[in-house]
Amino acid sequence: MRIKGVLETSFVDWDGKIVSTIFLPSCNFRCGFCHNHRLVLEPESFEDVPLDYLLRFWRRNRDFLDGVCITGGEPTLHADLPQLCATIKELGLEVKLDTNGSNPEMLRSLIKEKLVDYIAMDVKAPLRANDYSRIAGVDINGELSRIQESIDIIITSGVDHEFRTTVIKGVHGEDEVEAIARSLQGARRYVLQKFVPHLAMSEDLKKLPMFSDEEMDALVEAARRYIPNAKWRGK
Amino acid sequence: MKQEAQMQQDSTDIALFVKVSEGDVITWDKSRIVKSLLRETTIDEATARLIADRVERIIRDSGIEFITGPLIREIVNAELIKLKLEEQRKQYTRLGMPIYDVEQLITKQNKENANVPHGPEATNLSLAESIKKQYALLKVFSPEVALAHERGDIHLHDLGFIDRPYCSGNSIEYVKKFGLSLPNALSISKPAKHPEVLVLHLIKFSAALQGVFAGAIGWDAVNLFMAPYFVGKSDRELEQVAQMLVFEFAQQAVARGGQSIFSDLNLYWEVPKHFADVEAIGPEGKYTGNTYEDYIEEAQRFARALIRVYMQGDGMGRPFFFPKPQLHITEKLFKTEGYEEFLYEIAQLSSERGNSYYVFDRGETAKISECCRLAFKLDENDLQDAKTPWKMRYSAMQNVTINLPRIAYEAKGNDDLLFEILSQRMRLAAEAHVAKRGFITRLLNLGKRGPLGLLAMDKDGEPYYRLHRATFLMGMLGLNELVQYHLGEEMHESSYALRFGLKVIAHMNKESERLSEEYDMRFVLEQTPAESTAYRMAKLDLEHYPSETREVVKGSIERGEVYYTNSTYLNISAPISPIERVKKEGMFHPMIHAGSLTHIWLGEAKPDPEAIAKFVVRTFKYTTNDQIAFSPEFSSCLDCGRVDRGLW
Ligand code: SF4
Repeated sequence: MRIKGVLETSFVDWDGKIVSTIFLPSCNFRCGFCHNHRLVLEPESFEDVPLDYLLRFWRRNRDFLDGVCITGGEPTLHADLPQLCATIKELGLEVKLDTNGSNPEMLRSLIKEKLVDYIAMDVKAPLRANDYSRIAGVDINGELSRIQESIDIIITSGVDHEFRTTVIKGVHGEDEVEAIARSLQGARRYVLQKFVPHLAMSEDLKKLPMFSDEEMDALVEAARRYIPNAKWRGK
Repeated sequence: MKQEAQMQQDSTDIALFVKVSEGDVITWDKSRIVKSLLRETTIDEATARLIADRVERIIRDSGIEFITGPLIREIVNAELIKLKLEEQRKQYTRLGMPIYDVEQLITKQNKENANVPHGPEATNLSLAESIKKQYALLKVFSPEVALAHERGDIHLHDLGFIDRPYCSGNSIEYVKKFGLSLPNALSISKPAKHPEVLVLHLIKFSAALQGVFAGAIGWDAVNLFMAPYFVGKSDRELEQVAQMLVFEFAQQAVARGGQSIFSDLNLYWEVPKHFADVEAIGPEGKYTGNTYEDYIEEAQRFARALIRVYMQGDGMGRPFFFPKPQLHITEKLFKTEGYEEFLYEIAQLSSERGNSYYVFDRGETAKISECCRLAFKLDENDLQDAKTPWKMRYSAMQNVTINLPRIAYEAKGNDDLLFEILSQRMRLAAEAHVAKRGFITRLLNLGKRGPLGLLAMDKDGEPYYRLHRATFLMGMLGLNELVQYHLGEEMHESSYALRFGLKVIAHMNKESERLSEEYDMRFVLEQTPAESTAYRMAKLDLEHYPSETREVVKGSIERGEVYYTNSTYLNISAPISPIERVKKEGMFHPMIHAGSLTHIWLGEAKPDPEAIAKFVVRTFKYTTNDQIAFSPEFSSCLDCGRVDRGLW
């Protein structure tokens, strides 16, 4: 397992919890708004963070930490992810997994082995082939059913979870949000994340406008038609 | 007595010489030189006459057409030097500033301290400070101490305020009990009947105190002591009082030299043990017949009202920097109903505005906070005071900081030498404290009509300023760089380096205890609020110890922006996780009795308040850290050195 980055103490990655966040390399998607695009495109440009170092840090600071948030990149691409989760859980820490939902088999096995305590899955667009491919930046047409499968697994897993959509002005409107929310019925939480243009991967996206707080409120209202526990995050 | 008479005469004597008008030496009278020399110095009459003759000759021979008193004085001084009368020359010194500097000061913004607004009031203050500083270095401190300050071995803080003690912790009970009757005031107010009036009394009293203290004006247990005034009042009414309190304090910035009152409002959610059974004073300064424990509901409601006001910010929605809200946490908090919600509310304030402080009073300790990090642990005697809480008036009279990296440079890697020099510097600091105490005592002894009349005011059987309880602060700067130079590693780089740092502070702590006994004064360690000291000492060292300093100094040498790491902090720009920072920095705190602080830079837009609240509780439970504050952005931190790392 190669770990490419760590935020040793984070107050923002898991609501109500103090966590360490670790970043795993590579991704099978190419979202234009990806905040960690270097991790996706040139993971080798980051030094490895030695797991030993992390284990020592976690052991020393178990008293303060609630858990570890595993993000990326796309963590489920790594076959030894379950092993990593198990190691973390052995320390008495909880595990939160961020995923794009492209690997339902991995999700199923993590849930079955009780290796995750919280799953946050990105749902990038309404589950329509072209819409999804456009945002994810890769041809996803054959994969859509797998995304839907991941959603179903998570909703019925009994594991605490949230779905989230990074909303981009000009791309996501109330209709889109409502359509996504409809496909997530039964989810415990749905979070809209405000897209921050100047952090984007592509120059085109950098020029995009940003939603106002009021517009975000309106989008949340649209989502609430299907998922009462919806909110938004961001500056 | 003779000295006091001289002090009162002050500057009028200079005028004797100034009456020399252009082209006409009508008032020239050399006997005036003799008289002034005899009055001001320890010279004998024959020598004084000799000097007067010589000066007269110089002036006559020069053909000067216009001469001023100050110039004559300089010529006299030159003659004193020729006669090797160094002591007398010092006594005869004229204090002042070159005209160039005065013009710069009046017309240009002070670059070094951009926080002080530029204006006539502010420049008045600077001019006065400059002269008082010169006076202090020449007259109050021994030449040895003054030189050590000027060289940068130690730093004597607030020399421009030489005639005031440093900071004060005050009790609202005093104002409630005695009303507002300041010496020399035209009108006297009886104890307040209504909370609004009490607030006005507090503000005015604070402003008056600002006039006799150099630094912070702290108020203890504000929400608790005000609580008896809130019986039967609605939340809306409480919020109005809270608003008044915060805004009025914040806007005192129009007062002295345009500086805010460095004020703190100390808050408790619980009724701390030492106040629980104390008889409460209510409107009109009368005992209510209840104890403070009985007012917990009002105290809590007022604390929440204050937090709401802080949350809203000022008229433009900006955060308030003063008065600072400081939440004290004692063991009892966790047994007090509603603490989780309250912690959440104040954590929200940290998350959004970043200006709340958390002070941890573990075990049996109780503390009063004075300024951003200064907190007095109350000892047995102080806890006795709690029974008569209006007596809870504490002060640190002076703050002297020791330049630690320089000691490492001088010790050249030798442990024994390092500790020996450190002890020497602490003795110098102690000498500086003795001198300050002597001077302030002299001023206090001038009584109610003296310059510190407010502090001499006696309403409860002792003066407002309780000299016998004064503490004297031993600060430190750049422990991290001391360790770095001495061992080749910074404190966050190895546990060996950290342990060595702890050893240095343990040594300082032991020394201050030993010196306390020897001098019969209370010396305590304090984390110096670095402000300009961190830059000043780094710059001086770059001059005196260039190659050594270059190895460890922080900032940018090219841009001339250098500094040492504040007090016992770990390197502020090193990537140290907040958890490890509170733990490691907290290891120093139990030895630093006058208070310490860890700043936590979140560097994230809006941290989750619940996570912040957890962090606070865990810091209380699992560390020895004394006080923490969260800073949402690096750039907003004024007292911990410059950090170039921005957000995004
Ligand atoms: S799925 Fe996530 S990590 Fe992958 S490209 Fe998209 S945003 Fe980046």
